[in-house]
Amino acid sequence: MSSKEIHKTASKDKIPNSQKFAYGLGSIVNNLLGGAIGYMSIVLNVGLGINPALVGTLQAIPRLTDALTDPIMGYISDNTRSKYGRRRPYIFIGAILVGLTFALMWQLPEGYSEMFYFWFFLIGSIIFYLFYTMFATPWVALGYELTSDYHERTRLMGVMNFMGQFAWITLPWFYAFMENDRFFSDSVQGARTLAILIGVFVAVVGIMPAIFTRERFVGQDKEVRIKNKFVEGLKKNVALFFKGLLITIKRVEFLKLCAGTFFVFNGIMLVGAFSSYITIFYVCGGDKSMGAYYMGLFGTVTTISTLAAIAAVTWISSRIGKRKTFIIATAIMFFGSLLKWFCYDPMVPWMVVIPAPFIAVGMGALFTLMGSMIADVCDLDELETGERREGMFGSIYWWMVKLGMAIAFGLSGFLLNGTGFVVDFGGAQTSSTFFWMRVVDVGIPAVGALIAIYSIASFKITEEKSYEIRSELEKRRNKSISVEKISPST
Amino acid sequence: MKKRFLIKTRITQQLTALFLTALLVAISGCGDADMEGEGTHNKETIVITMIAKSSANPVFISAKTGALKTAESLTEKYSKLKVVIDWQTPANESASEQAEIIRNVVKNGNKAIIVSCSDEDTLTQAINYAVDNGVEVMTFDSDAPNSKRFAFYGPDDLEMGKKLMNELAGLIDGKGKIAILGGNRMANNLQERVKGITKTAADYPDIEIVGTYYHPETEAEAIAVMNEVIKLYPDLKGWAMVGSWAFFGERLKDVIEPGTIKIVAVDALPVQLKYIEKNYVQVLLGQPTFTWGEISVETVIDKIYFNKKIEGIIRLKIIPVTIENLGGWSRQLKAWGYKDIPEKYLEM
Repeated sequence: MSSKEIHKTASKDKIPNSQKFAYGLGSIVNNLLGGAIGYMSIVLNVGLGINPALVGTLQAIPRLTDALTDPIMGYISDNTRSKYGRRRPYIFIGAILVGLTFALMWQLPEGYSEMFYFWFFLIGSIIFYLFYTMFATPWVALGYELTSDYHERTRLMGVMNFMGQFAWITLPWFYAFMENDRFFSDSVQGARTLAILIGVFVAVVGIMPAIFTRERFVGQDKEVRIKNKFVEGLKKNVALFFKGLLITIKRVEFLKLCAGTFFVFNGIMLVGAFSSYITIFYVCGGDKSMGAYYMGLFGTVTTISTLAAIAAVTWISSRIGKRKTFIIATAIMFFGSLLKWFCYDPMVPWMVVIPAPFIAVGMGALFTLMGSMIADVCDLDELETGERREGMFGSIYWWMVKLGMAIAFGLSGFLLNGTGFVVDFGGAQTSSTFFWMRVVDVGIPAVGALIAIYSIASFKITEEKSYEIRSELEKRRNKSISVEKISPST
Repeated sequence: MKKRFLIKTRITQQLTALFLTALLVAISGCGDADMEGEGTHNKETIVITMIAKSSANPVFISAKTGALKTAESLTEKYSKLKVVIDWQTPANESASEQAEIIRNVVKNGNKAIIVSCSDEDTLTQAINYAVDNGVEVMTFDSDAPNSKRFAFYGPDDLEMGKKLMNELAGLIDGKGKIAILGGNRMANNLQERVKGITKTAADYPDIEIVGTYYHPETEAEAIAVMNEVIKLYPDLKGWAMVGSWAFFGERLKDVIEPGTIKIVAVDALPVQLKYIEKNYVQVLLGQPTFTWGEISVETVIDKIYFNKKIEGIIRLKIIPVTIENLGGWSRQLKAWGYKDIPEKYLEM
């Protein structure tokens, strides 16, 4: 095959649209669960009077437990053998349990102490995140294995990312919903009702990927049964787990994807707060209602642009490949970040929206292409190790994203203080404070984008290489199946 | 296989329809409750009468902007509440006119008054009359502490004096002669500021206060006093001004050379900005006058609509304005409703 030749997806590799849609529904649930606690936690402070530091602790502790539970769940799912598959049983049960837990953890009774609420919510959160991991890790892994085709993977991830945006559109409305005195007497009552609505939605919609998708690797791998005693079995599993973990985190191509994601995504997350502050206090001179208007406009333009970018990136990558598409999209985002320096002008406030579509291109491309490229890495990994470990790859990748996000949120406060920002001064910050706020706002995402481009530029699994790997894997599988067929011991 | 898939697709459609219906029922259930509520309880309108000292003074125009914007956002946020601001401010300062307005408000049956008192004694009686007749009264900027008002929002003048002294001490490296420009000797708030300055000056043994100079509160009188003191003390290092009368015209330029005598003054209004730019004054202690209206309206609503417990004194935070944040402060003033701010400052 010539390096410029574009593969057409064979009909057997195409995922039916209904399955893509069903998988995409999981994305809405996944994003909703990932964002809901953050958007609703304000009620803990405003409605129940819990100290903001304790609310921060409540959000940080589950990140630590995730570090352990995510890879373990990935390992369990990768090594599960059942007639329903390795992923779907967990997605089905996980969706129901996480929906139920989410609804229950927000049923906070009235009239108790701050520490009662802290422990109530902490225990609830830990159980919630456990079930969230049970749902999300196999769901992510399922996406990596629904098709073997290089381009079809990107299309699936495009649908998934596109549908997932609807959760992000909904989330900012949660506070207004909970605070709406047409429906509720106070925000705590609003949170209780909203949690039930979300819980029902999660349980009903979350099981759709389990019901309507088909796993490709059910029963194809040889079964490994540990017939030893429980303790020995446990020891062996722990050893296998750490071995798998080490192989995963040593996989260079995977690390490049992690680095690319980390720097693009967290670059944007880290300065998320800065952009709001700069819009309100610099561009709008401290006029909060004007600032809120422009931030809303920025959000709307970003959302529309992201949806368009996902569609465009999916199409372009089928023409020029994932790596080149990622580099171009990230370069556009780099340009958008630099544009902020010129467009954030107090004399012309509406210009704040100009960089939004450019930045959205990078963000839209990120989770569309990265998911698809991780699936390619899983193939390479199988070629070299003989094992399919989508669960492990997916869990470590997403844990890294979540951890990065937690670090970004934590660091952004320190960075803001470092610029000399004094909240009581409102729009009357010093010129040097505004200068450094803008340097950080422009510089961090721009530098992050450049590092990401550098990381992905050397990513080796091109379209051609991917098809070679696939061909080799299929040969090996066919051989393995025929050996199994003639072997009397199987 | 295809048939099985079709059946499953139908099941998906049915499940989706069922879920959407459930959501719709849940939402329409909420909607019903709301309609019932709207039908049985009228939307409550709270009229707050705002009485500032003078409608000609830009600081009060800014306070009015704060009150109007806050009323609008509260009305937008709460479906069963409408907040209306009834702006009743004399054209020029007149305590008796303010008292008359308060009496009329009682007759009109409005629920609340926010007032900046031109004269404590005159207003105390009027405020007590209003409170005795069921009207909630809150003061801002200038208080009537012995009245029955439920809260006051304004600066801590003693603290402001201390801050003023500390800023000036920093500018003259903690040594040298300084003078205090005191304005009206009878004004309690100015007296408190002077007290704050003298108390804090004791922490700087190398600073000598040559005197506190009172004068009628006009630019001409302030400049005349300054001229006299500078002639008396040619080695004067700094001025601590508890008000900004000296900046209300162009005369200051005839009295001192920029930067030769360090000045720290209270208030940072648009007319004063050029003196910062040209280094006649190094620090102005700005008051966020927009919040006089904003915080006062929020506090009144917390008190009479939400029945929240309110602190008797709510402190306003002072913002130091220097050449470093002249641009930011200018944009902030514009956002608060001040007019005629030179564009060059907005672009800084």
